Amino acid sequence: MDRIEQDVRWGTPASVRLRKPARPRAWGELAKHAFMILVCLLLLYPFALMLQMSVKDTEQIMYEFFRISSPYHFDNYARAWSEVGPMIKNSVVMAGGSALISIFITAAAGYGFGKLKFPGKEPLYWIVFAKMMLPGVMNLIPSFVLAWKLGLLNSYWAVILFAVGGAQPFWVFVMRTFVAGQPQELFDSAKVDGAGEARIFWHIALPLLRPVLSLSALNVFLGVWNDYIWPLVTIQSFDKRPITTGLAYLSSTHVGDYGPLMAGYVIASVPLFLLFAFGMKQFVQGLTGGAVKL
Amino acid sequence: MAVQSAARGQRKKTGRIGRAAGYGFVLPAVLFTVLFEYYPMLDGIFHSFYRWNGSTVEKFVGLDNFAEIFRDGVFWTSVKNMLFFLFFQIVLMIPTIAACIVLFRIKNSKMQYVYRILLCVPMIIPGIVTMLLWQFMYNPQYGFLNQLLDVLGLQQLQQLWLGDPALAKWCLIFIGFPWIGTIAALIYLAGLQNVDGSVWDAAAIDGAGPVKKALFIELPLLKGQFKLNLVTVLAGTVTGYGLQLVVTNGGPGFATLVPGLYMYQRAFGSGTSDYGYASAVGLILFVIALAISAISIKYIRSEE
Repeated sequence: MDRIEQDVRWGTPASVRLRKPARPRAWGELAKHAFMILVCLLLLYPFALMLQMSVKDTEQIMYEFFRISSPYHFDNYARAWSEVGPMIKNSVVMAGGSALISIFITAAAGYGFGKLKFPGKEPLYWIVFAKMMLPGVMNLIPSFVLAWKLGLLNSYWAVILFAVGGAQPFWVFVMRTFVAGQPQELFDSAKVDGAGEARIFWHIALPLLRPVLSLSALNVFLGVWNDYIWPLVTIQSFDKRPITTGLAYLSSTHVGDYGPLMAGYVIASVPLFLLFAFGMKQFVQGLTGGAVKL
Repeated sequence: MAVQSAARGQRKKTGRIGRAAGYGFVLPAVLFTVLFEYYPMLDGIFHSFYRWNGSTVEKFVGLDNFAEIFRDGVFWTSVKNMLFFLFFQIVLMIPTIAACIVLFRIKNSKMQYVYRILLCVPMIIPGIVTMLLWQFMYNPQYGFLNQLLDVLGLQQLQQLWLGDPALAKWCLIFIGFPWIGTIAALIYLAGLQNVDGSVWDAAAIDGAGPVKKALFIELPLLKGQFKLNLVTVLAGTVTGYGLQLVVTNGGPGFATLVPGLYMYQRAFGSGTSDYGYASAVGLILFVIALAISAISIKYIRSEE
């Protein structure tokens, strides 16, 4: 294949050209690029529209929908920030808290199930593992009642505790697999030196798990960041709302005020954009639960 | 396994303290799973045989909820809508596959990477923003579609879109055009990358055309990834309702209602707290989702 491509580049004898015509090949490449560019444009157009509208006032949106003209209303962003800023804080606290707590609990369980021995280990592991196969569709209502009875409604904990619970089956399974694969000699020698289980976990197992930890933290973070239904039923007070329910609420109460709304959508997209920009590969892996590398 | 035998050799050293430590490490995970996952699940199954509002009303009614669901016209409307969405969600898996095959065939690896990143952009935008943006696109007064028709001089074609019972369903299907799913795309691309390079060379020498090549080489190679994504689409469409909840809330009327949303509305909709009835709807969805998950485990495992 390489040879043929080279021939195309440097000019080919007629006999070769007859067998593998150069032209259709070049056109084929061009067609592929054209197709991909079209797909990307169509896919990203709504977001371009969002950016464009975020600096317009209602009249400009109404009468000059497809154009962008001065005056540019950057003050939309100031107005949006005062509403969306607190929501971002709420989302960061809830998503970050869930991620942080769940990585410690799943990593500890991964160590316990992967390296320690105690009666009832297998049954306990299977209890956690089996939940992976069981759908969560009917959890919503009883979970709400549970959160209510525990007095968690309108508190960050309603989101955090249930998110940590939801993260257990899959990530305990992953952590156990990784810990079980860590070299046993490290653990043995630490034990000979007289280190307790807690120290071994903290100083040997946890550092070795670091790549998986960031993966699972990101995965849990993204799950909470994008969750709409659960905070919708558990968090009613406006000052605690995350971006998902908060933006939906703003959109239904500020109908027609599209400039600031779009600015708010843009602001709400910034945190994930930063995460993506700084850790593209980890981001993609966190997104797909580690199944895929970019 | 090696791990177990190594652990067995350790038994003498790990006394009672070691055992207690083991429980200390795993108990938080077990407790979280039991309290926040198993308990709600079992509580929901239990209460689907009850008339229940979460507090004051709690009365055993046997199979009454299910008998009522069976006669409930709204429920069957929601099932019909769900099947409509399911059919199109499966058909709309094709654009992602097609785009991935084209993307993978691009020779310039730098450009390939650029397209790949661009396909990831929709995932950076919070899902709720995408849904609200599309809701705006359909806005009859300000929205993109009617504005576009206005510019093109086709005012007579302007619609209420989401406000029109006949169109609302189609509008929801059209959301996400051109229907490239980022996660699905990443999975397909990973599948194509795992393939031995000689397959492609052999195909090129055979002189197969681009479509023929897709049908006989790439598509068979993507079978595993397709099944994986199909299971996600199946389970997601049968039990999911986030899109409907945000964009139309099942309306106008019951035009875009799906069973999951019906469950939600019967529990948390205005004025109703039919938690028992909603749990019964949830149990039906649970059983279907469980069947999908069981079949998929058997089906996917058996072939790989």
